[in-house]
Amino acid sequence: MTPTRSFSNVLAAAACTTLLAAPALAAEPIKIGVPVGLSGANSVVAPSVVQSAQLAVEEINAKGGVLGRQLALEVADDASGAAGAQKAFDSLVFQKKVDVLISMETSAARNAALPIVARGKVPYIYTSFYEGKSCSPFMYVNAWVPEQQVPPIVDYFNKEKGAKKFFLIGSDYAFGRGMLAFTKAYIEKTGGKVVGEEYLPMDGSDWTSIISKLKSAAPDALITSTAGGAPNVTLTKQLRAAGVALPYGNLAVDEGTAKGMGTDAEGIYLSASYVTGIDSAANKSFLDAMQKKFGAELKTPNDLSVPEYEAVYAYKAAAEKASSTDEAKVLKALGEVSVEGPRGKIEMSKQHHAPLTMYLGQVQADGSVKVIKSFLNVDPDAQCPNLKS
Amino acid sequence: MITLALDIVTTAAILFIVSAGLLIVFGVMKIINFAHASFITVGAYAALVASRLGLPPVLAPALAFLAGGLIGAAAERVVVRRLYGRPLDAILATWGLSIVMGQLVTLAFGREVQFVPAPISGTVMILGEGYSGYRLLMVGAAIAIAVLFTGLLNGTRLGLSTRAVIMNETLAQGLGIDSARVRLITFGIGCGLAAIAGALITPLASVDPNMGLSWLIGAFMLVMISGGSLLTLGLSCFVLGGLQVLASTFISPILGGLTIAVLAAVALRLRPEGFARA
Repeated sequence: MTPTRSFSNVLAAAACTTLLAAPALAAEPIKIGVPVGLSGANSVVAPSVVQSAQLAVEEINAKGGVLGRQLALEVADDASGAAGAQKAFDSLVFQKKVDVLISMETSAARNAALPIVARGKVPYIYTSFYEGKSCSPFMYVNAWVPEQQVPPIVDYFNKEKGAKKFFLIGSDYAFGRGMLAFTKAYIEKTGGKVVGEEYLPMDGSDWTSIISKLKSAAPDALITSTAGGAPNVTLTKQLRAAGVALPYGNLAVDEGTAKGMGTDAEGIYLSASYVTGIDSAANKSFLDAMQKKFGAELKTPNDLSVPEYEAVYAYKAAAEKASSTDEAKVLKALGEVSVEGPRGKIEMSKQHHAPLTMYLGQVQADGSVKVIKSFLNVDPDAQCPNLKS
Repeated sequence: MITLALDIVTTAAILFIVSAGLLIVFGVMKIINFAHASFITVGAYAALVASRLGLPPVLAPALAFLAGGLIGAAAERVVVRRLYGRPLDAILATWGLSIVMGQLVTLAFGREVQFVPAPISGTVMILGEGYSGYRLLMVGAAIAIAVLFTGLLNGTRLGLSTRAVIMNETLAQGLGIDSARVRLITFGIGCGLAAIAGALITPLASVDPNMGLSWLIGAFMLVMISGGSLLTLGLSCFVLGGLQVLASTFISPILGGLTIAVLAAVALRLRPEGFARA
């Protein structure tokens, strides 16, 4: 082939492609990046988070999508840790060029991801409860922080169980340490005493010496804050094997994990912004829709997965209010819109965080959670005083 | 005090159960089976299957041994046999095998953490302190495994052939011992033993595709400093396991996790051939 012939062929091919591409551009979907722990410590809960996102996207697309465009999900595995999060976020932000990131992650993963989010200038809705005070102009949080979750448990142990001496156990990373630091301060503020505070690395599974220390410290109550999933399971199993029957407040367990643990989980107290037993029309229709879409494959909706569903709707509301997917406009709108979801009316209006209704519950023998008390619209307090919005 | 002593004894027992299979393979074949972690995982999933089928819990280790032994024998035939005399390549090959097995388990069972109910629960009163009944059972299991395999090695014809192969393989072949068959059976038994370990630790751990990995480094270190003898392995587990528990209790659990690796490195520096009488 002579150079001139091949050049004109290339020109013709390019022209055809552009003509064909033009109409496709108009209907290009809005890409929602979901980096989540499909492997690693969060692998137990990640499937439920993905399912929530899938249902939200399906419902919104059926009603015409957002701003006339369909939503598309891009799920990536962050291996529940910092190294994996870097890879997942890099690929979503710079290769897949997603319009928004909506996901639940471990604090280690989130902290590694924030610089990438800032570099890529992509709005990020963080849907996981966490230890608080993580601030970025690009991130909004619709899940609870310690100021909302810890007081119900500590107050209950204090007043109803007469507990004065507490033992704290956690996983050695931002969430474990942050939650227990707040818990310790709150316990001491309300007149209690912390007689022990022990940590194990996130992937550690041998709690033997910590449990022995717990028994020798003879506390009135135990409060734990491990990474979600496997560490919760190993700690609870080993606690029960060692015969520990103290009032046990778990700051990081969800209904799905509790149900899987069977009788070992019975008696655990948890404080959450979502339980499947919430008696509202929105929750009932949500649960029905999930059951209908996933059937036998359904993973129990829980406090880590339901905020994901509401966050997708929050993005829809923000994009429609801003009439665009431009990141600066969407970020401004996210702090102003409210969503009516299974957890009630959620508005991320307090320094990028949201006031939430919290439920204090206890795991029953059959794995279900019985609500003991509920607290309306608990304020997250000043999480990010330096953020302008 | 009692609790601490029991912690040390039960930790040593669990380490012994996990490492015994690796030692048997190393002693006979002079290679480290890096797929050991995957066989632990296979054993745990075998226990999961046993509990789903409704079998009584005592059968779980037996099912695990069967699964691990058969897969191990197949692996020996297909992968390891070609790598006699090439120990470094064998390490690489078994590591690759472990990756393949891990992915197959993920494909079959999913990535999530699975739950196996504990066969016995609750505590036993020992000298005034309640202690986990299941952990005490592990001590019994470790002793049973040690007795069984010492008996196998010293009291059976297969054991005799195996000891001959351990001492001098070429000479053993010259005397008519089928060393290929000995290696096949040994590898199968070593992997079966790893599977039993996996089945036995499920009530204390979570069952997921990567669960065996955290045990591999510890087992590897213990086998390296033990040389080839089960007795030395038992002693190493007791000493190093004990030091790990002491470090975890009195310093911090995070440093405790490092203890075995650090001490093994020190021990090998002092005596590179291990502590067994050669």
